[in-house]
Amino acid sequence: MPRTWRRGTTEPFARLGAHRIIDAVADAAKRWCDADFPLRVRTTAAIRERTGYSEPVVDYALDRLFEALNRDALTAAIEGELGAVDALDGFVARGERGTAFASPVGRLVVVASETTIGVALPPALFALCARCEVLVRDRSDALVRAFSQTLAEERPDVAARLHVNDATAHDDPAWLAELARADAVVAFGSAAALKAIRAQTPAETRFIAYGHRTSASYVAREALMDDAAAQHVADDAALDALLYDGEGCLSSHALFLERGSGVDLNRFTAMVVAACGRAAIEFPPGAVEMHPSVAAYRNAASFRASRGYGRVMWDARACTLVALEPPREEPPPLLPRTLALYAIDGPKDFALFAQTHRLPLEAVAAAPFPPRDDVVAAILASGAARIARVGMLQAPSFAAEHGGIGRIGPFVRWVTRDP
Amino acid sequence: MSAPSFATLSAAELDERILAFIEAWHTSRAVANEHEFGVLARELFAYQVAENAPYRAFVQSVRGSLEAPDDWRQIPAVPASAFKEATLATFDIRRAEAEFHTSGTTQARAGRHYLERAALYRASLLAGFDRFMLPDGARLAYLNLLPDARTQPHSSLSFMMQVVGDERGVRPPAFYVQGEELEVARFCDDLAALGRANTPVCITGTAFAFVALLDTFERQGLRFTLPGASRIMETGGFKGRVRSVERPALYARLSEAFGIAPQAIVAEYGMTELLSQYYDTPASRAGDARVKAGPPWLRTVVVDAEGAEVAAGTIGFLRHVDLANRSSAIAIQTEDRGYTIGEGFVLLGRETAAPLRGCSLNAEDLAARYD
Repeated sequence: MPRTWRRGTTEPFARLGAHRIIDAVADAAKRWCDADFPLRVRTTAAIRERTGYSEPVVDYALDRLFEALNRDALTAAIEGELGAVDALDGFVARGERGTAFASPVGRLVVVASETTIGVALPPALFALCARCEVLVRDRSDALVRAFSQTLAEERPDVAARLHVNDATAHDDPAWLAELARADAVVAFGSAAALKAIRAQTPAETRFIAYGHRTSASYVAREALMDDAAAQHVADDAALDALLYDGEGCLSSHALFLERGSGVDLNRFTAMVVAACGRAAIEFPPGAVEMHPSVAAYRNAASFRASRGYGRVMWDARACTLVALEPPREEPPPLLPRTLALYAIDGPKDFALFAQTHRLPLEAVAAAPFPPRDDVVAAILASGAARIARVGMLQAPSFAAEHGGIGRIGPFVRWVTRDP
Repeated sequence: MSAPSFATLSAAELDERILAFIEAWHTSRAVANEHEFGVLARELFAYQVAENAPYRAFVQSVRGSLEAPDDWRQIPAVPASAFKEATLATFDIRRAEAEFHTSGTTQARAGRHYLERAALYRASLLAGFDRFMLPDGARLAYLNLLPDARTQPHSSLSFMMQVVGDERGVRPPAFYVQGEELEVARFCDDLAALGRANTPVCITGTAFAFVALLDTFERQGLRFTLPGASRIMETGGFKGRVRSVERPALYARLSEAFGIAPQAIVAEYGMTELLSQYYDTPASRAGDARVKAGPPWLRTVVVDAEGAEVAAGTIGFLRHVDLANRSSAIAIQTEDRGYTIGEGFVLLGRETAAPLRGCSLNAEDLAARYD
């Protein structure tokens, strides 16, 4: 179990300006941007061991994470949600709404199970900026623990508020006690895992849940006016589907293509398959063998194809399966390194599909970007929390909300002073 | 696409030869003729290519030819899920003597397996059951933790146990699943009565049903000591069910609850898409890694994800070639994993979902959200 949280011994921290905390976090993150930083090198190996991802993929993830954790992005996110960073330090004027102080919510526990790389860090660091006491249940790669070491070198008083629990059993009494004492819990995981964690938290505890989700791509006909444009979209779509072996909530598993473009569906599908092969050069797959569930899906799709329903293509180098026109009465294949392509007449078809299967969509990538108004309307109807440019699905803005939830808002408790 | 021009045997001729193959092994315990199996498999393949349009299209797409391969191991295998996608029958299904449905636990659609002649299934299942479950020729009372075949005519397992009970039982077989309900009290009453009469029994059921039964036993403090020569046949797994346990643990509980040796508990491995079954070999029943063996008209090839046969001992997907599937598809590619050892194979089960390493949704998680 982790060392006991030390409450009441951090008066200097309470007086530390939020800008100083932001500086400390940004300075620590900057050191992690260096691929040769020893702690990062060691952690990269541990992440590879845990996830099975190839080194370029892990490097990409760490680059994305730590480059995004810069002073400007942190400040922009806080200002966007709270109005001003100073709101974290004391009462600030809010016009007719009077003055208010974004005080820390208290103790935050972050539980990151079965997740891609580094998802626990953003909520933990934003909560630190809000001066919360933070306990993170770390993964076996110990990324959070390693980062906290760097943070301690920058500002020991900030790092002292970031506690790390090496993965103990979920039913460990001491761990359950920590959950019971938390004022807020951020949990990542399956529906079953979230239910189990929620059951261990008091009713009034803020519970911020990030369940398993999936993403999709929408390619409008005007994005494919000629082969060159289509090739560009195919390259971007392949990247969206294959990064993190298609295992992230931002991994696209279904690509909807409007009929009536300059490139027919079969040709575009072949372009996507070829693009997957090229993407695998820069971001090699973690495993070179087809997963059994993917093999089973391919076998079934091959049989359907023999009867004239759809097509299925396998790129061995990319270890990637592309299924063209799978049955609409089934959800898309939610499998690693597998992408389904559907020809549609327009946004209504996409919205209908998403609603029929009640797909919990995290994001939808669109081409061209920005998408048409009717496409935006369909994406909104689908419940997705983000509209991205095709090719940028896996690169969300750190200053924006995540999963429809604010970055720092959940970790503050507004105290208002009447005008 | 037109049918191949080469002549094939008729359905009646094939049935006659397959039944003779089965009977030769069943009644005279003759060693199966390898050459004859290969010839029959190729002839059956040719017949099905001629008479089964979806299978013909599939063969054409994967082989680029409708000619019978030289080796039965190269016969194209339809995925088990194909029974959900198409009517895999060599005849007009309005003449089907039996129709079995898959459970459809992971997909909304159930697969359908149509039998032109139930006699072939009866002969196959009885021969295998006699050899692997009744090598001592025991006469038993059959208590089945299954739905009644009369109310669930599309359950191949219930059909099988109805036939076994009718043909080999000392009394008509009993079934104890009504709808979703396991009739534990009636089962216990019957078991106690048979115990008093010292009538040995064969209890059959899915692993899931046994777990439910044992949970009730433990809650109520029930235990039995079955008469000598009694046995248990466990069939099927926990697909889509709420609770899963390891088989050695399950067998230990069964052994304790019924007072029989673990070796008297036999796992049968079958599926709706196959009309023959595998069983634990007697020699492996004392250990945890049980080896499956089947009758000689049912063969298994272990293949990799690309469909190529792997070396003995290497884990891969199980592909079955079953001559009893005369009126559907001879070769079935399953999602079950295992490896060959000696004359049999070890069944490792199915990986139904990809591992959850990331925060992406998978099919099971999607389904679980709305349970």
